[in-house]
Amino acid sequence: MGNIISPENIVYQKPKLLNDTDMHYCPGCSHGVVHKLIAEVIEEMGLEEKAVGVSPVGCAVFAYKYIDIDWQEAAHGRAPAIATAIKRLWPDRLVFTYQGDGDLACIGTAETIHALNRGENIAIIFINNAIYGMTGGQMAPTTLMGMKTATCPYGRQADLHGYPLKITELAAQLEGTCYVTRQSVHSVAAIRKAKRAIRQAFENSVNRRGSSLVEIVSTCSSGWKKTPVEANQWMEEHMFDFYHVGDLKV
Amino acid sequence: MMKESGEEIVLMKGNEAIAHAAIRCGCDGYFGYPITPQSEILETLAVEKPWETTGMVVLQAESEVASINMIYGGGGSGKRVMTSSSSPGVALMQEGIAYMAGAEIPGLIVNVQRGGPGLGTIQPSQGDYFQATRGGGNGDYYVLVLAPSTVQEMADFVDLSFQLAFKYRIPAMILSDGVVGQVMEKVVLPPFKPRRTEEEILRECPWATTGRKGGRPINVITSLELRPEAMERHNLHLQEKYRTIREHEVRYEEHLVDDADYLIVAFGSAARIAQKAISELRGEGVKVGLLRPITLWPFPTKRIKELSRQVKGILTFEINAGQMVEDVRLAVEGRTPVTHYGKMGGIVPTPDELIDRLKEDFGIVES
Repeated sequence: MGNIISPENIVYQKPKLLNDTDMHYCPGCSHGVVHKLIAEVIEEMGLEEKAVGVSPVGCAVFAYKYIDIDWQEAAHGRAPAIATAIKRLWPDRLVFTYQGDGDLACIGTAETIHALNRGENIAIIFINNAIYGMTGGQMAPTTLMGMKTATCPYGRQADLHGYPLKITELAAQLEGTCYVTRQSVHSVAAIRKAKRAIRQAFENSVNRRGSSLVEIVSTCSSGWKKTPVEANQWMEEHMFDFYHVGDLKV
Repeated sequence: MMKESGEEIVLMKGNEAIAHAAIRCGCDGYFGYPITPQSEILETLAVEKPWETTGMVVLQAESEVASINMIYGGGGSGKRVMTSSSSPGVALMQEGIAYMAGAEIPGLIVNVQRGGPGLGTIQPSQGDYFQATRGGGNGDYYVLVLAPSTVQEMADFVDLSFQLAFKYRIPAMILSDGVVGQVMEKVVLPPFKPRRTEEEILRECPWATTGRKGGRPINVITSLELRPEAMERHNLHLQEKYRTIREHEVRYEEHLVDDADYLIVAFGSAARIAQKAISELRGEGVKVGLLRPITLWPFPTKRIKELSRQVKGILTFEINAGQMVEDVRLAVEGRTPVTHYGKMGGIVPTPDELIDRLKEDFGIVES
């Protein structure tokens, strides 16, 4: 038997843009997979020297430690405003934000809706895990009805907490958006589709076709208090019922 | 009237002068939200359409919160960007200003003040002295604050603010008020200066998020650091920078202080009223001088301390309840009496009121 670990036998490699730093994400979290996809897409498009990312407040606040491109770290919810300015001032750059549901669909709703409605040539990657992960599992605007969190311990109910917000459906109605899609990364097939969506959104930014929103329905095994496998199953059984995966606007 | 040097002499409002000066000094972008009494800045830019001439970006944002974050983003990418607002709008911006201070991002914020607190009034005020000089957001930081008293200074301070902001990587603020913003005066607009090229920006701002051209190590703009020791080091670095600015960038103007028995300290439009009062008092034989701080931070502490040894009393004249007077008292350290005169609610005091108050405060009897 010869050595099978040789360059001609390599079928998969970690993208170079993904640093060797240990990630702080919990086991089973979707962030790591989405980070990898972003790094792969930027590398495949050859945009390492033209990409500027805007990271949020939330679990992905340290995205700049993992993906080896220029980053600006935004105040909670303000990433689309920051990206708006960078893209308008540097029109040939790839400019994207990476935001969670608390950041994008709650405190930053105004910045999100208006950046998308102006048709800013930016891509927004939206991680929706229906919970505030970093602060320890509180209710998010996207928390499902009946779902238990630290701030709705008896389950979300309409009279107390209002309803979960489908901001991606809202975004699809806006004239400024050119591409709105909802994806997930719970299976290999889903990961491949999500990667294609991210690539489409990044191409739209570079070619100045308008705003793109890629929602990734995600897990938060720690916040949901489930094992990684249970979290994936729970997402398929509950999240996909309310947050239908697929393109909303192409 | 256009001069050979490229300067142009025109009659215009202070707010309009800010807009024209921005276009002429190579500003890359303006992001703002309408609010009285400063909306002419965005309106003038919209009429002038600089995106067709100099390439300057002009965008009406969805809020002051968005505006300041656009400045944070634009400044973080090395561009000369500015916003403008009035008092309650600037209050909304404080989060973003703190982020800029923490991440050391240059940029210009123009505050054409109105009366407060809260929604207050649309009439002139200097009630934001604290908001401007104390760092209205969280944490230990300062913003470099310039206080124009004429339309000419409104124009001149735009380029000066950008130069200082980039020199020290600090947000700069022009603290104007409804009087200086709305009054029409003769102004000499500077000649056109081209916007910096990409190469010039990369040279001047090697820290900016421009994309890691040439495979350089990545640039990250952030104010976040979870390790206490590292965060302390960063804060000490900021404090060191503030010390340097205090040492080198104090600006003020003096008027008839050499033989003065009494000193008025006033900034912005209040200093113009004080000048009128001083010329009348001098006519009566009362030797009064004026010190006008041009930078409110850094404050001319040293000079006021010197003058406090010479004069019998200092009156701080502001269109507010008495804010700068605290800095004057800190400089004087009890060496001479310090009083304050001012009005609130959007009422601008007259020179006569100031004259009466000065005589009353220091027991000056009519000769």
